[in-house]
Amino acid sequence: MALASTDEQASPVALPRRGITRRQALAAALATGVGVGAVRLLGGSMQQLATPLAGSATGWISPLKSESARVMHLLRRTAFGYSPTQLETALSDGFDKTVDRLIESKPAEPPPLEAATTPGGRFPITQLQQWWINHMLTTQTPFAERMTLFWHGHFTSDYRKAADNTFMYWQNLTWRRMAMTDLPAMLVAVTTDPAMLRYLDLATSTGQNPNENYSRELMELFTMGPGNFTEQDVREGAKALAGWQLPKPDSIATVTVNNNVMRRLPVFSTQQSGVFNARRAYNGGVTYLGHQGRLDTEGVIDRILAQPSTATFLATKVVQHFVTGRPSTSYVAALGDTFRRSRYDMKTLMRAIFKSPEFTADQSYRALVKSPAEFMVHAARALGNPPIAKVIAGAGSGMGQTLFDPPDVNGWPTNEAWISSNTVVERVNFVTAALAQTKGLLPSPHDAVHRHLDGVLGVQTSSLFNQAADDRARWFITLASPEFQLK
Amino acid sequence: MTREVGINQLKRRDFLKAGLVFGAGASGLAAGYAAVPDAFARAVYAAKREGVNNENVLVMIQLAGGNDGLRTLVPLADPTLHDLRPKLAGSMVSQALPLNAQYGLNHNLAGIKSLWDKGKLAIVQGVGYPNPTFSHFESIRIWETGDPTRRQVDGWLGRTLATSYDSNGHPLTGCACGATDAPGALRDLQATLTVIQNQKTFGFTGGSEVEAAVGALYKGTPGIYGALFDTAIATATETMATLRTSSTSYQPMADYSDKVKLVYSSKNQLAAALQLAAELIVTGTGVKLLHVTLGGFDTHYTELSRHDDLMGYLDSAVSALYQDLAAHHMADKVLIATWSEFGRRPKENASGGTDHGAAAPLLLIGDPVHGGLFGEEPSLTSLDDTGNLKYAVDFRSVYQEILSGHLGADSGQILGSAFERVPFLKAPVAV
Repeated sequence: MALASTDEQASPVALPRRGITRRQALAAALATGVGVGAVRLLGGSMQQLATPLAGSATGWISPLKSESARVMHLLRRTAFGYSPTQLETALSDGFDKTVDRLIESKPAEPPPLEAATTPGGRFPITQLQQWWINHMLTTQTPFAERMTLFWHGHFTSDYRKAADNTFMYWQNLTWRRMAMTDLPAMLVAVTTDPAMLRYLDLATSTGQNPNENYSRELMELFTMGPGNFTEQDVREGAKALAGWQLPKPDSIATVTVNNNVMRRLPVFSTQQSGVFNARRAYNGGVTYLGHQGRLDTEGVIDRILAQPSTATFLATKVVQHFVTGRPSTSYVAALGDTFRRSRYDMKTLMRAIFKSPEFTADQSYRALVKSPAEFMVHAARALGNPPIAKVIAGAGSGMGQTLFDPPDVNGWPTNEAWISSNTVVERVNFVTAALAQTKGLLPSPHDAVHRHLDGVLGVQTSSLFNQAADDRARWFITLASPEFQLK
Repeated sequence: MTREVGINQLKRRDFLKAGLVFGAGASGLAAGYAAVPDAFARAVYAAKREGVNNENVLVMIQLAGGNDGLRTLVPLADPTLHDLRPKLAGSMVSQALPLNAQYGLNHNLAGIKSLWDKGKLAIVQGVGYPNPTFSHFESIRIWETGDPTRRQVDGWLGRTLATSYDSNGHPLTGCACGATDAPGALRDLQATLTVIQNQKTFGFTGGSEVEAAVGALYKGTPGIYGALFDTAIATATETMATLRTSSTSYQPMADYSDKVKLVYSSKNQLAAALQLAAELIVTGTGVKLLHVTLGGFDTHYTELSRHDDLMGYLDSAVSALYQDLAAHHMADKVLIATWSEFGRRPKENASGGTDHGAAAPLLLIGDPVHGGLFGEEPSLTSLDDTGNLKYAVDFRSVYQEILSGHLGADSGQILGSAFERVPFLKAPVAV
């Protein structure tokens, strides 16, 4: 790759002068009445999108008053990027119809993972990661994958503790199928999911000697949020939830593992969920979230769904992933109301979010940082899908996101937490690797700037883009730019 | 220490007076935890005050998930322990490495025990805070911000960087080793810090041309994340330059190994992270505050083997760090301290593990410490109403001693209050 050499590029980054550079840029921008974010590239077929609109001097100039910009904004946030054909379809359908299509489309199932029948699920996690990335790259229903990724971080599990990658595979299938159903059904599926039974220890809890792990996180992280329940609720909930165990395998295989050690490992021919063993359950009554008396798992879930905090907590989390990192209280309260009144129907919630004025407000423009998976899959799709699923699966770790391996039970953080000296370098290195793997003729980078960045570029990005020697360099600037890290 | 002059010394209000108005979105963000730095403030703030003027270094090791204090510093003579933990107590007591008649260290802490024998290990017992929360995330936040009332948004070490060190232009003053994002303890709107997951791979694979292009690309980036992006790239390039020099002059003088047997493998390479810490310390990069994390301490199940493994891992990595620092004649400058969001429940559960607890001991290691047991031994017979150990020492007492006694920083300003002293340092700098 060759970048045209200029003084700006050749000089080392001079930290002490950062302030001056910025101030001078701002002063110049104000003097000419043009915002810093409003640099228009010449050429391209959607030039109207780059027309400067109202905005503050330091913010991006939002193009969201235009219907086509709103459609691209929607796709960036819901679909891991898009092919030119997918974009054309969405642009011709318009914003409202595209929202409906995203929400109503039945999720396309990924192809079965052959390795899933390995005894004990002892196949490399990289196979599962690549299998999912491949589906993200090629699916016709990318919104389903975006939602699966959301739930993967919300109802999260760690493959290390689940200790059976077949269970992790099943969980991924379950989360995709349930992603746009309703919360009551989802909570039953989550509670009895084998990987979750292992990850939060419900599989080894008994009524006589309960393990509090699942009971606590079910309320704190999955539904109600901290501060809305007591320690007594945690203890009593743990009693009421005890009794679930892992499913019984169809057979047991004797397998030689490391160092010639023989191990007996479970084999499952079909996907299963946890089984309830009444003998391990708690026999007495409990006092749980205002209820007194006997309570089974569905009773626990009903009590949680009766708490007003549940709808608000989930609406807030969804909004932080899809709209803005700092939603107003009134916005999430209204969405929470809608969610609860719909009997916690996910389609109703997501439709209300995408059609809310906040979703397409100027302040929402580039207000979210793409997660590593979103960034990499979007880049690959923009490049015309080079064969880089393996690169993507391996590159997430340095950016802070390894699929099936969340940092902790709170899943992955969002937005600003994706930006550090380590992660930005890794993002740039991914672009280098992705371009190295993209052989042959590249798609037009000029089109990409309009299709993927609305033609709204910062001063530095547009200047470097215009100075770049060839298309490969222009693609590097586009994908490594701060603009492309945002959605 | 050199000081930046010129525009970096301007205060934000000078820019406001000059009639420049900055992004409306940015100030709103400052209200939340782990906030994005104000889009403009970060670029113009610099170290403005005369702060710490010594060579002392702090390495904080987070034992994430809630470390079981009773299996770290084991009560040897209390029969109640066996009633509370029929499965877990037996071996942990019989195998413990005795410090005195009452207490012993976990049997896998042999290296740390030898530091105890040399008077280089202080243990503060019964550390916690009032009305403990049993949420990992709330309690982590409390420990990170040093504020049980949950009003503070910046980390206690981040505030230390901002008030007492010149980190702008010297981003390696604070460093998170072995991580991909900034730990909450080091975050502050006005502090710059470096995050390095693995120094072997820390660099632009595209070489110097990419480095130059990216340096130019991330300048004056608009939007609420603009300054954060720009600072991250500038910090990264500056750090790469430093590492190029330090890695050639550093010779490890200890055996760091992450090839340890764990029931399930750790996300964090503790030994590699501590070796990077040692490299940064002994090669004179100016690093002062370091943070590393070892995860896996949330031992709700099969705790026996899992916790022992983690103790062994901690022991080998910390022992190597101490040995390396000593061989480089830097051990007298470095305090190594552990922290964890809480201890664990004295009573075991059905899964052969323990649930979330409260008070627990902290380990302080290195030449600066005055070896011995501090604080107050928690009672196993007088538990609180959640069945947990009552705290005797506020965790901010430990922070205070580290800040004022070891680093020589103004702990009153950083912690907002004064706490009872815990005299675990041999020669406190300024108390």
